Amino acid sequence: MTQDKPAAQPGAEHRKKRHLGGDLIIPVAGLVFTVYYFSTILDSPWTAQVSAFFVGTILIVLTVIFLTKAAIELRRGDADLHAGAIAEPANLAGTRLILLALTIGYIFVIQFTGFTLTTFIFMTAAMGLLTRGKRMGFVVMLSALVSVAGWALFIYAFKTRFPVGPFERLMDFLV
Amino acid sequence: MEFDPALFIGLIARAFSFWWIILPAIVLGLIVGAVPGFSAANTIIILLPLTLALDPETGLVFMVALYASSRMGAGIPAILVNIPGTAGAAATPLDGYPMTQQGRAHQALAISFVSSVAGGLLTTVMALLALPWLSKVANYLHSVEMIVVMLFGISLIASIAARDTLKGLIAGFFGLMVGLIGADVIYATPRGTMGFLELYDRVPLIPALVGLFAVSEAFVIIERQSIVTDAGRAQYDQSGWPETWEGVRIALSKWWHIIWTSIIGLIIGVVPGAGASIASFVAYQQSKTYSKTPQLYGTGHVEGLVAPESANNGVTSGTLIPLLVIGIPGGATAAIMLVVLQYHGVTIGPALFITSPYLAYGPFAAMAVTYFLMIPFIMPLARYMSKVTVVSTNYMAPLIISFTLVGAFVARGYVFDMYLALVFGLIGYVARKTGYHVAAILIGVILGPLLETYFLRAMKMSQGDLMVLFSSKLGNLLWVALFVSIAMPYFIDWKRARQKQEAPAE
Repeated sequence: MTQDKPAAQPGAEHRKKRHLGGDLIIPVAGLVFTVYYFSTILDSPWTAQVSAFFVGTILIVLTVIFLTKAAIELRRGDADLHAGAIAEPANLAGTRLILLALTIGYIFVIQFTGFTLTTFIFMTAAMGLLTRGKRMGFVVMLSALVSVAGWALFIYAFKTRFPVGPFERLMDFLV
Repeated sequence: MEFDPALFIGLIARAFSFWWIILPAIVLGLIVGAVPGFSAANTIIILLPLTLALDPETGLVFMVALYASSRMGAGIPAILVNIPGTAGAAATPLDGYPMTQQGRAHQALAISFVSSVAGGLLTTVMALLALPWLSKVANYLHSVEMIVVMLFGISLIASIAARDTLKGLIAGFFGLMVGLIGADVIYATPRGTMGFLELYDRVPLIPALVGLFAVSEAFVIIERQSIVTDAGRAQYDQSGWPETWEGVRIALSKWWHIIWTSIIGLIIGVVPGAGASIASFVAYQQSKTYSKTPQLYGTGHVEGLVAPESANNGVTSGTLIPLLVIGIPGGATAAIMLVVLQYHGVTIGPALFITSPYLAYGPFAAMAVTYFLMIPFIMPLARYMSKVTVVSTNYMAPLIISFTLVGAFVARGYVFDMYLALVFGLIGYVARKTGYHVAAILIGVILGPLLETYFLRAMKMSQGDLMVLFSSKLGNLLWVALFVSIAMPYFIDWKRARQKQEAPAE
């Protein structure tokens, strides 16, 4: 059941390279963090140092092995430093960044405007972004329903400690 | 502490008489278990005024029922949306989520429920019968052995969860390093806190869980229309009650698998601090090792779902054993139970089994009854909760982000914890996209402080001599097992590569 190999095409020597850029983020972040961590314990008593040096040394050794393997692949031409899967699919990169910005905004604003109002605004904006503005009436209704249901279940029924704002204070006064 | 059949029957009958407190606890437990950030421990803390107002036995039955049902609830989002409700369910999505993507969510939930109930029920009865012997397991594990057990846990997760063992180990040790952030336990020296006062008391676990699993997943799922793949959607549309009952049948046909993986959970649960997260990964790894079809693990394999769910429910009864026998809680929820019992003036220890047998054995009987009473609740849940998997991700992603981020806020009431969850979310996003499994990082964060505690204790006892790590026979045996578990994947890869090289020549 052997098949004849197809004839070599022009440019076939350009094998598909592995994109290592994304793969390097966590080891490099781990390495940088470990070095920073060590810098914070240099003048500390040994009890504060010993387990960090134990764990940190193993992490550094593992990272060095990983980086060495990556360097060998790069040198052989089997890999490049492109970001790879992290930035894929390219057509969603902008949407993802806007969603991230909305999330940061949500966390920043929630301490002033409380859970219900902020969740309503965030969900309307984020769902509007992801649906590209389609069915906005439904999006607004769904966001309102979910936010109020969240308030009723967690804040009113379970008395959970959620961020409080004008809506929660008003409902606390009314109900 | 000898077994008496009359006492056993009496205990079960008495536990049934608490149905009025067990049923609401089951409903509450299933809800809080399913919502990341709302653990059973937090809920019991919130409801402390209620449990303290009840008499000790009723309060204990309520806490036990809530604990057992929350353990099962944690598997629901793990299967449906790849977000474990608690760290104990971190191994559940490995095969549960691929089943959902294939449109088999009903079946996966039914398998998870049957495994959880059967595993929980079985280990609870076993714990009841073998209490005197199981309580001794914890006595054999001292600081040195616990250090190796934890490193063993990290290496297991690294080899199971990540596609590349080296990446898994880097993720696990990165998690351990993050888990060491905070003030040191003796001199309170701040370490690696980046100047944030909120990190002096260690990295809080709920923001880590929420970020690594939920926030990162939300940023990934927007690439698809729904959680179920297009091919899986056709399967989902055709499935109904028959698929749910088929799931029950499949799970029951794996009865032997349920038995031995839940026993793994029970034994690990007895070890204080080890917990459900380690137990579920150990059970998963053992299940894969002895399986006839190890290559199917991670693709939606039934045994890969049965093992962690049986094991993490086995842990539930295991954690109560050291609590009631020697007064050492096996986990956070057990620790809160200890506080409640002490508030009522109950002295924990072997004497409790003689002076108040109903109070000492009662939690196990209550747990068995809880698992029994859960059955009518959970099957309709399997049928209707799976509908979430066909909801558009355009609506699911913002919902996941907002509700889980607020869940990160709840535990301590700091907005900082929401930002922390977002940072973990970004780490989780990179990890998911590049093959460093988020579970390995999370388990590292959980085990970091525990590892430090045991490491410091060992160093103190040996006056700083590192050779103490190799001073015990059991510890040395565990070291060998640890190195074998790390070396084994490389050995298997090498063997496979050699077989491939030899194959064309044949």
